[in-house]
Amino acid sequence: VSSALALARRYVRAAWTPIVLSAVVVITWAFVENAGSVTLEEDVMRLFLWMMLVLAWQLFSGNSGVMSFGHVAFMAAGAYFAALLTMSPTLKETTFADMPRFLASWIHPAELGLFEATLAAGALAAGLAAVFGIAVARLAGIAAAIATLAILVIMFTFIVQTPSVTGGSDVLVGVPRETTPGNVALALVVVIFAVYAFKQSRHGMRLRASRENQEAAQSVAVNLRLERYIAFVIAGLICGVAGALYAHYFSGFAAADFYFELTFIVVAMLVVGGMQSVAGAVVGTYFLTIVYLTARRGEVDGVFGVETPSGTANLLVAVALLLALILRPAGITGGREVPWPGALRRKGPVAASAAGTVPEEVKEAIAAGPSRADATTPTSGESL
Amino acid sequence: VTAAIDLQVGVDAVSFGALFAVMALGLALLFGVMRLMNFAYGELIMVGGYTMYYTRDLGAFPMIVITIVVVVLVSMLMELIAFRPVRYAAPVTLLITSFAVSFGLQQVAFMTVAKGRQKGVEPYPWLTDQHHIAGLRLSNLDILTVLVAAGLLIGMTLLLKRTTIGIQLRASTEDYEMAQLVGIRGNRVISFAFAITGLLAAAVCVLYVLRTGSLSATMGVTPLLIAFVGGAIGGLGSLTGAALGGFTLGVVINSIQSSLPVDLSGYTLMFAFLFVIVVLVIAPNGLLDLARRVWSAATTRLGILDRRPA
Repeated sequence: VSSALALARRYVRAAWTPIVLSAVVVITWAFVENAGSVTLEEDVMRLFLWMMLVLAWQLFSGNSGVMSFGHVAFMAAGAYFAALLTMSPTLKETTFADMPRFLASWIHPAELGLFEATLAAGALAAGLAAVFGIAVARLAGIAAAIATLAILVIMFTFIVQTPSVTGGSDVLVGVPRETTPGNVALALVVVIFAVYAFKQSRHGMRLRASRENQEAAQSVAVNLRLERYIAFVIAGLICGVAGALYAHYFSGFAAADFYFELTFIVVAMLVVGGMQSVAGAVVGTYFLTIVYLTARRGEVDGVFGVETPSGTANLLVAVALLLALILRPAGITGGREVPWPGALRRKGPVAASAAGTVPEEVKEAIAAGPSRADATTPTSGESL
Repeated sequence: VTAAIDLQVGVDAVSFGALFAVMALGLALLFGVMRLMNFAYGELIMVGGYTMYYTRDLGAFPMIVITIVVVVLVSMLMELIAFRPVRYAAPVTLLITSFAVSFGLQQVAFMTVAKGRQKGVEPYPWLTDQHHIAGLRLSNLDILTVLVAAGLLIGMTLLLKRTTIGIQLRASTEDYEMAQLVGIRGNRVISFAFAITGLLAAAVCVLYVLRTGSLSATMGVTPLLIAFVGGAIGGLGSLTGAALGGFTLGVVINSIQSSLPVDLSGYTLMFAFLFVIVVLVIAPNGLLDLARRVWSAATTRLGILDRRPA
């Protein structure tokens, strides 16, 4: 029995960060279910969907160090594709009367449920990411950032210029409102575990090694392009799922929803929270969502009797991002994950004095015991 | 008749391209000195546009002077407040910073000057007067644009090659740390670079606003994207490359928009950005750099046989 307990304890400890983060998400969801307020529910849905995007960003940019400005494009693809698959056929025949034959033949009659449509959206987004990823995985630094930005502009231009398939720049209405906070909370828990598991997997490890020192990582046979490519595509998949869920909650949406503004908010959340950890992604999302939505409320109803001019919310996000970049470039969490409660107590004077010099991953690995000893090998490569 | 039309399209395209050459030059200058891909450059145009709106009754000359002063000041302030504290950060961090500045300025504009009904600056009637030369229509604005752009490019070249601060600037572009070691003051050079970009942005702004007339908080985004793409294609690392890239892209976009059928011309930006991705992959330092390397490789191949010591 005691060995079974010890085993369970080890598993809980290995998955401590995603467990705590999921608990936070579930508590938030339980809170909104009980509150029964429509505006609160909408706010929490925004929080959840932003968080899903920020997690996707963490998976690619956080691990690889290559900044993406383009994953919102995959979200857009997911949102439009899922919406096209679930809308009622009669509505589609009138809204998209001049859709090209080869698409209309199967899109018009399609009437999928949310789950299948979400899977399809994820698949399409991953497929698109797989195409664009070929180029992005070859680039680094500023060139990669420009290329991902190009993806964003390409997708936006395509959607706006192809009204026969997407409705153009108009708001797409008539998408069934099927997403519930429960759906999203569940999806989010899966994503949190997946993103954390990716970070700890050999792929995540190699990617993080390449982020710290590209040459050193390559010298120990890390296939940089392949690892970046894998992360890019998985992040695209998550964004596609987020898009499908978004489309079926805020049932009317437009191309402009998936452009610079959303990209900016997501990047800001990631950087403010700390892009090198999954906990950072979640903390950043909560922090900036509260700031943003409070200011947004102020633009509509006024906060503390003061009616803030419209644009305040976005301005606050920009200011928060600037302050974070200048004062705390590693973000609120500084790249740390959720600490294991016992680790702090048992830390002796020697461990405490060394704490400042030992990299986080090594500490984690030491704390996790000999079963994770293999994890230290690539980490020590990082500090070469 | 078709040849005349083509030439006419060409004339319009050249003045459009000249505008973006100047703009890409401003981007490349900052990129060279501090690896900063400045997104907030578009917002300088926006700031200039609204300055023109509020000073439009003062007459053309005071309006232009005030616009230049305001834009240069905003540009230098930007550097002081946002970019100086993160100067030694990674280029991508700088890019995110400029994103934040750009977005923040747009929001400030939304909250203040861009509020309420759409504002615009009416172009002076004499600007749209046309001359007919050899069967071509040339408006004063086209001529002015090309002259100002050419003047600025020549002026920039002289400034960078002949003045002390220009040479210091180029030295910093080559190797910032080394330049500091030999006594060049980094802060001064970078402030100066921002002032010059402000000046270029003000010039672009005046010509651009006189052409389009309408103002909005996000008016800087499209010209920025085009200049950005042009710069990336030509090579942001070199001033000539960026200017050439901006010019070429301006010309190409303008001719595509006037020659393609309407339902395809909307996709111009999409094709331009697809092209950017391709260029980034095959020539990350721009096409000019690629051409240079191909050229030098070809010439050494041919010449090396004679010169190689026996």
